[in-house]
Amino acid sequence: MAKSPKQPLIETKDLVKKFGSFTALNGVSLKVYPGEVHALLGDNGAGKSTLIKLLSGVFAPTSGSISVEGKAVSFASPRNASDVGIGTVYQDLALNPLASVTRNFFLGRELTHFGGPFGLMKMNEMHRIAADEMAKIGINIADPEQAVGTMSGGQRQTLAIARAIYFGAKVLILDEPTSALGQRQQMEVLKTIRRVQKLGNIAIILITHNEIHARLIADRFTFLSLGEVIGSGTSEDLKGDDIKRLMAGGAEIGDLAKELAV
Amino acid sequence: MMSGQLGCPLILYKMGEIMNASVASRQESDRHEQKSWLKTLFARPEIGPVGVMLLLFGMLGYFSIPAGEFSLNPFAGEGFNALGIRNNLRVISQLTIIALGAGLLIIAGEFDLSIGSMIGFAGACMAMILRWGFSIIVPYLSFEGGLHIEFFTLIHIPDVSPLGAIGITLCFTLFFGWLQGFIVVKSGLPSFIVTLGGLFFLRGLTEVSLRSFNHRADQVKGATTVTEIPDLKNIINLPGHGEIEREAAKALPEADLLALMKDVPADEIASIAERLAYTYERVADAKTDIIIAKGVKPLERALENAIESGNEFMVTTIQDKIANFSIAPVVPKTVTDADVARAYIDSISSARPVADFFGGDILQPLFDWLYFPIDWNTNNFGNQFASGLYSCVMISLILCMVCYVMLSKTQAGNWIYSTGGNITAAKANGVPTNKVKVSLFIFSAFCATIFAACQVFEVNTADAAKGNLKELEAIAAAVIGGIVMTGGFGTVVGIVVGAFIFGLAKEAFFYIPGIDGSFYRVFLGLVIIASALLNENIRKRIMGTI
Repeated sequence: MAKSPKQPLIETKDLVKKFGSFTALNGVSLKVYPGEVHALLGDNGAGKSTLIKLLSGVFAPTSGSISVEGKAVSFASPRNASDVGIGTVYQDLALNPLASVTRNFFLGRELTHFGGPFGLMKMNEMHRIAADEMAKIGINIADPEQAVGTMSGGQRQTLAIARAIYFGAKVLILDEPTSALGQRQQMEVLKTIRRVQKLGNIAIILITHNEIHARLIADRFTFLSLGEVIGSGTSEDLKGDDIKRLMAGGAEIGDLAKELAV
Repeated sequence: MMSGQLGCPLILYKMGEIMNASVASRQESDRHEQKSWLKTLFARPEIGPVGVMLLLFGMLGYFSIPAGEFSLNPFAGEGFNALGIRNNLRVISQLTIIALGAGLLIIAGEFDLSIGSMIGFAGACMAMILRWGFSIIVPYLSFEGGLHIEFFTLIHIPDVSPLGAIGITLCFTLFFGWLQGFIVVKSGLPSFIVTLGGLFFLRGLTEVSLRSFNHRADQVKGATTVTEIPDLKNIINLPGHGEIEREAAKALPEADLLALMKDVPADEIASIAERLAYTYERVADAKTDIIIAKGVKPLERALENAIESGNEFMVTTIQDKIANFSIAPVVPKTVTDADVARAYIDSISSARPVADFFGGDILQPLFDWLYFPIDWNTNNFGNQFASGLYSCVMISLILCMVCYVMLSKTQAGNWIYSTGGNITAAKANGVPTNKVKVSLFIFSAFCATIFAACQVFEVNTADAAKGNLKELEAIAAAVIGGIVMTGGFGTVVGIVVGAFIFGLAKEAFFYIPGIDGSFYRVFLGLVIIASALLNENIRKRIMGTI
């Protein structure tokens, strides 16, 4: 499925992040190509969250570099990261459940008739865009005035992804999009990711715990353990127990079985 | 097991349906049934409060119709006669003004308990500036004749215009609003605590300032009430006399009054004279009726006695007398030129438009028309009942419209909702939540100041105790109007309805025969709890937790 990659959309080189004496990330290098889903796997505490926080501009790296489309970038705030096209969809999705789909879609970036916060919103245009953008990646909403709180988890995820793409995300970071969802909703989210993948120009970094989901959708894998990359490869390279083993932080399945057999 | 039995045919039916329509074509959104407009209307959060409001409206209308009279027209009673409307709308509008400030802040997820004290402070500040002028006084320690505090007057402006007084007051109140907001967003303390501090601080500061500065030079201690402010809204510019209070102008010697009318167009004089003639006639009619009623009353008492004692001759005689009771009708006063001149003075518009804007009346032409020629706006003595509506009605309307547009139509409105609904989401999407909150604290202080301005310019006094408990009334009105206490949900229409319910309840319970007037508090307490439960239910329904 992976096209012959020319240039990675986003690349990190030897990213190191230290919090005082604690090394959260110890030299992580990563290449993500457009039109690809890059699964970032690892156990709790492996450094996945730290990595996405570096990529989305929440933290600055202690050393190492991030480059987007070949150009080195550094972020002072999450705003900078989204300006160069890195859109992060957090687990909590950053949605206001009491407000409508449209109001959430354009939250903080409302279209107004005249500039300034007191300009009237172009409500009809915003309704149309929100519905169109969500339809593009697979969900037809009947009523853009519907409160987000009444939508299913999968629909909310789609809303957050559609929003990130509409506002110029070239790199989409999805933080455990399938956790805390039912089976059906999980499939819906994976379908949405697949549709984004097919758009071809967006690189997706998928953080997940779920090996099955990663195997279903990802083109490339990177495994983190204790702040370091312990393995990576394309979906063809990795077979069978490799993924399980790497997800468990490099331990052999046999060892795990032994550990369980106390 | 009941459910199982009942469920069986249902499941079979569903399965049949699924077989007909492919599973894949069903969307999540299909589970949301398209609502009819009627259903949409009844699903609106304001519908319950609107119902209560209509109930109270009817109660006030019908209970205030005097005993023994019957009318289907709710406007027939005291509650909604001209004066009733004037007074009720004033209470409701004043509450609306502060409820808007409190409500918008609650939608953004914060509270302001300092509104009442802010009203007291703003009123006292404005009144003192109007009464004594504006000074900047620097206190310093003096060592001459023992250690004590002396005051050095840096600037003294003796005569400050109404606009100036409001402007200076706004500088103080908006600063306090900003300060409270700043402390809340920077410290992360609950706004409840910070503004509770503001409540005590401002009330205390008001009393201290009044006692320190609100006195003549020859007095030592001031009073906590500011009086003797000139009736600014009634200062007029009279040709040949300059600026003069309306009452003083009317008391001018007759020669001056007549001289005044020389420049007035003849048709205007004619219309004033016609109106005065109408008034005098109405007054004379009313007087005649009163005299007749007075004359008949002893006869009626005598009639009762006669019926009791069974003296049929007396009964018929007295009945005859009552039926034929008549007096010579009171002759209407003749309209003199001086009367016309005084009426003309009443019609001159104020020379202090700002004071008139806040404390004057609006819609006088309408209320004049309702009196002459409609003859509805007439009191028992034949005079015009209400001169117009209080100006605060207009001010609250303006504020309502501005708030409505801002909250539901602008970007700022979306920011307010999101700040209260999910602050982390708002922040993640670049909404300046701190600015939103601080601005709304400032807006709340602004509303309190406007409330104070309306009071000060209307009654020309101020008191340190003004606005006591108003913050709770404002919050209550907001809750009744469907504002969710945890933020993120509510409308301006709801706030207005809440203010109406609060204001109407107070009046309506007063008129219910044989009931203690304080029952309105019992009623409001129940309404508040019921509203809060309803709001919470709506919130949970939207959040999907029920």
